[in-house]
Amino acid sequence: MDVGFSMSNSEPGQEPPFEQAKKVIQKFVQRQVFAENKDEVGLVLFGTDGTKNRLAKDGQYENITVHRHLMMPDFELLEEIESELQPGGQQADWLDALVVCMDLLQQETMGKKFERLNIVLLTDLNVQTSADQLDVIINSLKKAGITLQFFLPFPLDGEDRADGGGDGPGPSAASARPGKGLSSQQTQGLEMVKNIMTSLEEEDGLEEVHTFRDALEKLSIFKRIDRRPMAWPCQLTIGSSLTIRIVGYKAVTEEKVKKSWTIVDAQSHQRDDVKRETVYCLNDDDETEVQKDDTIQGFRYGSDIVPFSKVDEDQMKYKSDGKCFSVLGFTKQELIRRHQFMGSQVVKVFAARDDEHAAVALSALIRALDSLKMAAIVRYAYDRRSNPQVGAAFPCIKEKYECLLYVQLPFMEDLRQFTFPMLENNKKFTPSESQLSAADALIDSMMLVEKDEDGESVDVFKVNHIPNPQFQRLFQCLHHRGVNPDDPLPPVEPWLKRALERPQAVSARCQAPLQDVKTKFPLKVVVKKKEQKTSADVFGSSADEPDAKRVKVDEEMEFNLAEIAAGNITSVGSVNPVRDFCALVRQKTVSFDQACQQLTHRIEQLLGNRSPEYYMKSIACIQAFRDQSVSSGNAELFNSYMQSLKRSVPDRNLQEFWDLLIQDALTLISKDEVDGSTISKQDANQFLAFEQKEEVQAAPVQEDTGDVDDLLDMM
Amino acid sequence: TKTMRLRRTKRILECVRSVYTSKIISSDKDLVALVFYGTEQSKNPRNSFKHVYVYHDLDSPGSQRVLDIDKLLGEKGAQFAEKTIGSGETSLGEALWCCSNLYSDIKLRLSHKRLMIFTCRDDPHGGDGAKDRQARTKAADLKETGVVIDLMHLTKPGGFDVSLFFCDIVSPPEDESELGLQIEPCRKLEDLQKRVRAKELKKRSQSRLTFSLGEGVNLAVGVYVLARTATKPSAVKLHRDTNEPVRTKTRYFHAHNGGILLPNDMKRAQVYGKKQIVMEKDEVDEIKKFDDPGLVLMGFKPMDRLKLHHHIRPALFIYPEEEQISGSSCVFTALLLKCSEKNVFALCRYIPRRNTPPRFVALVPQREELDQSQTQATPPGFNVIFLPFADDIRTLDAHVGPTASDEQVDKMKEIVHKLRFKYKSDSFENPVLQQHYRNLEALALNMLEPEPIEDLTMPKVQMMDARLGPLAQEFKDLVYPPDYNPEGKPAAKRKTAESGGGAAEKKPKAEISEEELKNHVANSTLGKLTVPVLKDACKQFGIRTTGTKKQELIDALTMQLSK
Repeated sequence: MDVGFSMSNSEPGQEPPFEQAKKVIQKFVQRQVFAENKDEVGLVLFGTDGTKNRLAKDGQYENITVHRHLMMPDFELLEEIESELQPGGQQADWLDALVVCMDLLQQETMGKKFERLNIVLLTDLNVQTSADQLDVIINSLKKAGITLQFFLPFPLDGEDRADGGGDGPGPSAASARPGKGLSSQQTQGLEMVKNIMTSLEEEDGLEEVHTFRDALEKLSIFKRIDRRPMAWPCQLTIGSSLTIRIVGYKAVTEEKVKKSWTIVDAQSHQRDDVKRETVYCLNDDDETEVQKDDTIQGFRYGSDIVPFSKVDEDQMKYKSDGKCFSVLGFTKQELIRRHQFMGSQVVKVFAARDDEHAAVALSALIRALDSLKMAAIVRYAYDRRSNPQVGAAFPCIKEKYECLLYVQLPFMEDLRQFTFPMLENNKKFTPSESQLSAADALIDSMMLVEKDEDGESVDVFKVNHIPNPQFQRLFQCLHHRGVNPDDPLPPVEPWLKRALERPQAVSARCQAPLQDVKTKFPLKVVVKKKEQKTSADVFGSSADEPDAKRVKVDEEMEFNLAEIAAGNITSVGSVNPVRDFCALVRQKTVSFDQACQQLTHRIEQLLGNRSPEYYMKSIACIQAFRDQSVSSGNAELFNSYMQSLKRSVPDRNLQEFWDLLIQDALTLISKDEVDGSTISKQDANQFLAFEQKEEVQAAPVQEDTGDVDDLLDMM
Repeated sequence: TKTMRLRRTKRILECVRSVYTSKIISSDKDLVALVFYGTEQSKNPRNSFKHVYVYHDLDSPGSQRVLDIDKLLGEKGAQFAEKTIGSGETSLGEALWCCSNLYSDIKLRLSHKRLMIFTCRDDPHGGDGAKDRQARTKAADLKETGVVIDLMHLTKPGGFDVSLFFCDIVSPPEDESELGLQIEPCRKLEDLQKRVRAKELKKRSQSRLTFSLGEGVNLAVGVYVLARTATKPSAVKLHRDTNEPVRTKTRYFHAHNGGILLPNDMKRAQVYGKKQIVMEKDEVDEIKKFDDPGLVLMGFKPMDRLKLHHHIRPALFIYPEEEQISGSSCVFTALLLKCSEKNVFALCRYIPRRNTPPRFVALVPQREELDQSQTQATPPGFNVIFLPFADDIRTLDAHVGPTASDEQVDKMKEIVHKLRFKYKSDSFENPVLQQHYRNLEALALNMLEPEPIEDLTMPKVQMMDARLGPLAQEFKDLVYPPDYNPEGKPAAKRKTAESGGGAAEKKPKAEISEEELKNHVANSTLGKLTVPVLKDACKQFGIRTTGTKKQELIDALTMQLSK
């Protein structure tokens, strides 16, 4: 990077090239750090006040500093760039700097394996260069296979500079220096850049000359997660005697973040300070702890639990005989429904590399299937340890290559045969002609495929070109927090927000049709009848309705009084927690707080069982807790318990239980019932509403059906 | 005759057994009772009904019940049944009354109540009008409380005449106008005997969401899962001595002072570029929030823009929710009809729940289809197809090779033609699950060995060979040279090349010295080591690693050694 004094010059109100170049480098290093590939980066500054490089001798190569040697970039480098990278007071020849970089690459890649060597030059070219060595430099670049990229404050092309319009969006770099032409050094420099780039790459070379501004736009997207495809060699078999050697690659799959969060101590930030302990305990009142070694595994068989040890399970389980890709038969493609694709990946199957016989055999199959519009149904097993799948192999013929596309299909057990009421011939829902034409117009106005000037249809919203916003956001926040540990998290970047919105042109086009839809279709949010009933039930707001629940509990309490007389109740037991609790509250032998605490302890225990009988018991407990709280005028304990219970519903999978609470309308105690409550009646009414959680698949990890990637992590 | 009666009893008991074993696997929370009527002995909760024998009370079934049925089967079983139950006067009315008591004795809310009558007698009371009347009244009472009564009759000489008596007892076929659905008229006894070992799931929406078309035009939809990989039910931990279930409790405590750590005492961290970055748990959640849950319409695209290979997850299904926003069904139906007519799909942004990042989905219209028996084969609604982001698509280095000639392709077409079949999505059972269920059954019912499974995922090689005849050889002659062996492992070549390099290649499991590791850390070259070596190194330095991913091991070592 050129840090010479001319890099700091700029028109008033303009960002100096130095700052822009610095940002480009920051973004570039950021991407490298989060992509965590093994690329190594060095940083050479020229125009520095000092000199620090291997070639400096006898006044040559002065004011050039090797700031960082070739190594993997890290946060330290990011911080250095942030705080230590300052404009210099000198100017240095960028060709000299190029030579220093070449030397650095040559010296520091010795003994290392690499795929590519690249030098990126960020400069304003505003210095006198000696061109006499140019040919030598170009030759040695070619010999060493080093590629070059230039980043300049202005575009390469003079015309673009003049009319201010490059091919990039928005104001292009030309506006960085409006009205000011280039210095003679810069003009000369540009010629040399063109010269070098065309000698290296011929015409395409000029594409590697960028402006700072364009680079910033492109680099602000974090590198997409890139994984090396892992080859899966196998044999495609048809019957017992026809075999074709193939290789599969995972082509499409949901990419996950590479790292998970670790738990650290809030003060020390050390993860070793946090210990996690899992204990096993019996379902008795004392929650007696049991050693892990004293447990065995079992499975539910109806109302029984059948002990079935891991060893036995392994011995008796289904065993597959290793990897395979065996054709079971062929079928019409139309019989395979797109929405019944299973699994999380698509595998592309090619013939084995460098085996032309296999290539011809597979090609025959692909072309036969393609012309018959058929697909192969195959048994697929990734390896001996993984479960077999049944899937479809579709033919795929591209201009450059042919392959099969393999997708998993469902097993009978995977399908849920739900029926839904009919829509089309249902008088209540049948749309009228005018409604249909409104929908028709809406669709026409919102097409995301448009015709360009040549009549080609262009997709204006390609999802597969959008980077996963989850990763972009995560890296943005990680980077921000890494550099500014005490700042709050930044907002989502505007470009990312835009990328997730409907394209502007479409939004504008659909205004009128959307208004039409709005007027033609009456849509009204339904006020829940159930909830109305709830408030009436619970709060007794309508006096003429008998309050069935209250009566029931009162009866129970009288019954309890008799019990109390018979025996002393000192704590809330597990047999009849409601009775015990009510007794404790009446007797006042323990404080109300304590009684409640004992009761909630029992409730938690009951809920740990997750079965309907225990749910009913828990509901009775909660009902009693509520009633007693209302009559003691203490809403806080109950409300805070209910709130924490609600929070724990997703994690403990208590949705079913919560549904029961909804049925019984056991909600928070509102101000209307107890003065001290901080909950409004409306909040109480809404409290029970819950978003349903997606069913969580508890698939044992080792049973995972084979992934082409699994082995990658083990290498 | 006695043998005939024995055969019939056996048939029915087998049916009951299969109902039990199927229920245990498909829906183990269902409560089932088994009541015999026309018995000599009586056994029921208050013993108020004569000649009614409640063999199993209404409860969730387990292995004991199946074993109980087994006790009644066979020659010995018949004798046992004769002794304990016997046969006597028949009064279906009493039996139905008893059943209605069984239902009402249950304190739980029952979502669905069904009563199946197994019989071979179309005139059970032999013309006793009073008994017939009583049975009709009791049946009507039951139906009133929401019980569906089904008849599972055996064939009998001269045919079983439902119109004689039972037509008044059973529930009428479900009202067409109510659901607009055609239900199969009568389930057959044979259906019951088919053992289905698959978990049955209740139709329940995964979530109810707002579907925004833009500008405040919102409808409500329910999101349903119609296909999801079924997995083995999870194991339960038991106490070794008592077989009592045990629960797990997880807690965090401080390594030095042993104090319990509450959620607020902990934070989350990740390491990037050798730096630890720390966040609050709430922040970690907040990062994932982009918008409120819901579907937001982006626009429409022609169906051919939906690529076959753009698949990352099983699809979902949406259906309008009139109860949330009235009018939803009408807009939904209009969109469904028009999308399907214009052959387009709707592209939407989908956020399933709070603090979940968005995904883009294609809503593909699906109109209702009925099968021959007028049963719904595909429901009306939109299939929700998940679309991949740029990160989900991998760059592959395609293999380019020679292509086949027309002659070769034609030969393969013959092969394809010989092996064609009609694919149906429900025709393959998962052999892993089926084996697991049979193993469980064998253990629970004290069987000597599990019932064998038929592995439908295996190719029927013999049949295929027979159908192909000489075609396979003919094709091979066209594409493979005589000395070519496609089964030869290509790996063999590499092996010989390696063996030349000497046995030194096979590296012994060498522990790596601290110095070497430090060098690797300094040069950021830890990545060159293998996972086992890294794991050993972690152990060596007593580094606790939660992760097993390579990068996590590297981070852990880097943190430790650069201290």
